[in-house]
Amino acid sequence: MSEVVATAGAPVADVDEDRRLRDRPLLITAAVLVAVSLALVLGEGLHAWGQASVNGLVSGSYVALGAVGLTLVYGTLKLTNFAHGDMLTFGAYAALLGKVTLGLPFVVAVAFGMLVSAVLGLLFELGMWRPMRRKGAGAFQLMLMSLGLAFVLRYGIQFVAGTENKNYGIDTTAVVTILDLRLARVELVVMIVGVVLILATAIILARTTLGRQMRALSDNSSLAETTGIDTGRIVSVTWLFAAGVAGLAGVLAAMAANSFTPEFGFRLLLSLFAAVILGGIGNAYGALVGGLLIGLVQEWSTLLVDANWKIAIGFSVLIIMLIVRPQGIFGTAGRV
Amino acid sequence: MHELLPLAISFDFFNGADFWVGVGVLAGIYTVLTLGLQLNVGFTGIQNFGQIGFAAIGAYVMALLVSDADWSFWLAIPVAIGFAVCVAVVLGVITLRLRADFFAIATIAFSEIVRYIAQNARGLTHGNQGVQDYVATWRSFSRDVRHDVLDGIGMGGVEFNQMPLLIVTWIAALLLLLLLRHLTKSPWGRVLRAIREDEDAARAMGKNTLRFKLQSLGIAAAVGAFAGILLALQTPNVAPDNYLPLYTFIGYAVLILGGLTSWWGVAVGALIVQFVLEATRLIDFGLTESQTSSMRFIIVGLVIILLVAFRPQGVFGKREEMVLGD
Amino acid sequence: MTDPTPDEAPIATAELPDAIPRVGPTPAAGDLPPGAGGAVLLQVTDVVKHFRGIRAVDGATFAVREGTVTSLIGPNGAGKSSLFNAVTGFYPPDRGAVTFAGRSIFRKPPYAVARAGIARTFQLTRALTAMPVIDNMLLAAPHQRGESLAGALFPFGTRAREKQLREQALELLALFRLDTKADDYAGTLSGGQRKLLEFARALMTEPRMVLLDEPMAGVNPTLGRELMAYMQRLRTERGMTFLFVEHDLEAVMANSDQVVVMAQGRVIADGTPDEVRRDQRVIDAYLGGAGG
Ligand SMILES: Nc1ncnc2c1ncn2[C@@H]1O[C@H](COP(=O)(O)OP(=O)(O)OP(=O)(O)O)[C@@H](O)[C@H]1O
Ligand SMILES: [Mg+2]
Repeated sequence: MSEVVATAGAPVADVDEDRRLRDRPLLITAAVLVAVSLALVLGEGLHAWGQASVNGLVSGSYVALGAVGLTLVYGTLKLTNFAHGDMLTFGAYAALLGKVTLGLPFVVAVAFGMLVSAVLGLLFELGMWRPMRRKGAGAFQLMLMSLGLAFVLRYGIQFVAGTENKNYGIDTTAVVTILDLRLARVELVVMIVGVVLILATAIILARTTLGRQMRALSDNSSLAETTGIDTGRIVSVTWLFAAGVAGLAGVLAAMAANSFTPEFGFRLLLSLFAAVILGGIGNAYGALVGGLLIGLVQEWSTLLVDANWKIAIGFSVLIIMLIVRPQGIFGTAGRV
Repeated sequence: MHELLPLAISFDFFNGADFWVGVGVLAGIYTVLTLGLQLNVGFTGIQNFGQIGFAAIGAYVMALLVSDADWSFWLAIPVAIGFAVCVAVVLGVITLRLRADFFAIATIAFSEIVRYIAQNARGLTHGNQGVQDYVATWRSFSRDVRHDVLDGIGMGGVEFNQMPLLIVTWIAALLLLLLLRHLTKSPWGRVLRAIREDEDAARAMGKNTLRFKLQSLGIAAAVGAFAGILLALQTPNVAPDNYLPLYTFIGYAVLILGGLTSWWGVAVGALIVQFVLEATRLIDFGLTESQTSSMRFIIVGLVIILLVAFRPQGVFGKREEMVLGD
Repeated sequence: MTDPTPDEAPIATAELPDAIPRVGPTPAAGDLPPGAGGAVLLQVTDVVKHFRGIRAVDGATFAVREGTVTSLIGPNGAGKSSLFNAVTGFYPPDRGAVTFAGRSIFRKPPYAVARAGIARTFQLTRALTAMPVIDNMLLAAPHQRGESLAGALFPFGTRAREKQLREQALELLALFRLDTKADDYAGTLSGGQRKLLEFARALMTEPRMVLLDEPMAGVNPTLGRELMAYMQRLRTERGMTFLFVEHDLEAVMANSDQVVVMAQGRVIADGTPDEVRRDQRVIDAYLGGAGG
């Protein structure tokens, strides 16, 4: 009996996974949301809660759309992309260019901004990320390069467009009142467009072959490779998608804020990371939900503390989540 | 947008010597700030992206103790540094067990939270106005140095206003550089390098790696806080916008330029980066002011990208000890 | 690795350096009947370690006596490495008990287990490639005052210890014919040399027991045999205890006092090489595993 090297005894399949509460993160999340909402309704009144929630959905929608690309790129390439926030800025300025300089109708200008962002994302992949991966660059190396790229993007935009506040020249004074909740009309548009796009994104990811392949690659790249997906092509598509949606999120954020500077995307970056980590890094649906949650938490916090704190509250949620459940709401336990 | 470079000398003060003295002071401050990053990133493999947060804590605690609590300036300095170290230990215990990229994000979030507290806890920090009433002791010390020492060598004039700060900053920077170099050449430094290479291997050899990582982060926080205090003497104003994550990132540019694991590289990198950031003011590119300042940061970004891609060991780093890559 | 010239002494006959501690009972060479040894040194009882959906270790129980060589075998995925990781604290086990020299090391962090006297190597070598070979060795030594911040700051008195450790390390490296490489970066070593370095480094920790995960994999056969011979000498001359995972069953049967067989996370057989060889469950596990 020599050199008997047997191959895998298959892993013991069914295991009596304890159905502890800890293992039902969605349930917990929903319970916490309901409890917090109830507390706020009781403490601050239904109207105040409703108003804050609507505001939260407005900012949550562009955070969600910004985060979905960030998480897909991370999941697919293990790239912590510090330049992603500046892709939002790029989209917003590209749309501005379309509207003001090229004189396009706003909707067309937005599509133009999205398209240009998508193409730029693909160019970075082909010109920078792919060659670096071929060279065998490590995760930290790529992270630092994304930091450099963030500088080039942000200050490139600033070089061209200047540091002054810009806006799309949309009428922001018009206010809509629904169910006694006041909302600027642009905000309503942002919210509706944002939520529709989130749903559309989710459907694309769930229903189309490309979407499923992107998620497969993001969830488990080695598995996807062995199942014969053309990874090079999917990676390119992922970049087009991530950057395009980021560009769109940038336009929405810029519309909601009404005025913007070349820094706004970078300022959003940590909120995007918060959404990504809340939802479970690499998980596209998680990022969408995480984005909405971050928006809600930030706005709800304004019922209790000064509104100036809301960004910091978002970051605190990020840190608390990292401590309590680094794999995120939808993530499975792994090495984190 | 606010003035892009709170770290920069404003044009009003501009005239020959004063300008270059100012550049030298900032380079020295960046050296101190980045020494901490070198210890963390280059020698321990922990990706601290919150270094400017420690600078903020150092500056604020010192400034507030002096201006609002009437402490002595000299006593406030060590207390401020000690406070930053305590914060680092708490932060480290919470976040050092996270994997590298999450740690990076968590530390940026930390430094931003510090900045938001500085901005919004107005009762304590004076908000965006910042703190100013802490420089008297330093000013008189600085004046004494100018009269008693610099006058004798023809540098007593007003254009050498910041000369004492320049001297103090660089003496401190060099002492700290030598000290850290000495520490990392010891068996202690050997354990840090082992953690950088492979934490599990170090643990298998009986090293309590969390303890070493906490020490590394704590020391980085101490030098970071000291850099913050020096910066507070240079500006001289302690306000939230002096502590943007941008400045941590510039520290990374310094680090990559000089080379990970190279202590002297930190000083050289800081000099080069400051030169690029400031001296470009002297050249007339026919651009607007905003374009010139944008261009400076585009250059910094490009330098980061190109170095990381093509010379990841930096200018002085050792190829074999390359921390980046594979 | 430069091929050993025939006239060069193979490691097994070279003098054991004093660097290697004498531990436990030190029976004279040849005195030790196979399977005997001293008291139980490592006791693993009902250890369970599961990852989501996978019971990597599913209630393993066995004991290792001091001064013996025990091997741990089983098909791929049987849970051998996971068991090592559970014992050494890298994967804190979910249930069970682990005692070493009478003290519990259950769920103790890796560094504490190492300090208790268990050194280990990894299946995939963990040489610190961006550090010189000698630093890999020095790092492993225990009781270094220079590793404290105070000792690093004021190195008076730590220099002597450093010098002594360096000599020890060079002696050990010489034994593995790595002394000429002492100042090279570990990244320049071949795969086999890295395995040797890991073994040497484990010995530098002055262990009472050494766990080796596939020490012969990727090492050329001559060197592999020498490694086994060297392990035997450390056991007989110094009383050191070994537990090793190995797929080369010939080497396992020739070198072990006791063989523990694992399959699907459980210990399915435990005995002398002869007993295990005849055990029907073992034959089934291997053939069944190979078939399925
Ligand atoms: N960190 C981990 N996360 C999830 N599953 C793991 C992990 N480590 C091991 N496993 C699983 O546990 C089971 C046992 O693996 P282990 O590496 O212990 O086997 P082994 O006996 O050492 O195999 P080999 O002979 O191939 O080294 C395998 O199914 C493996 O996939
Ligand atoms: Mg194994």
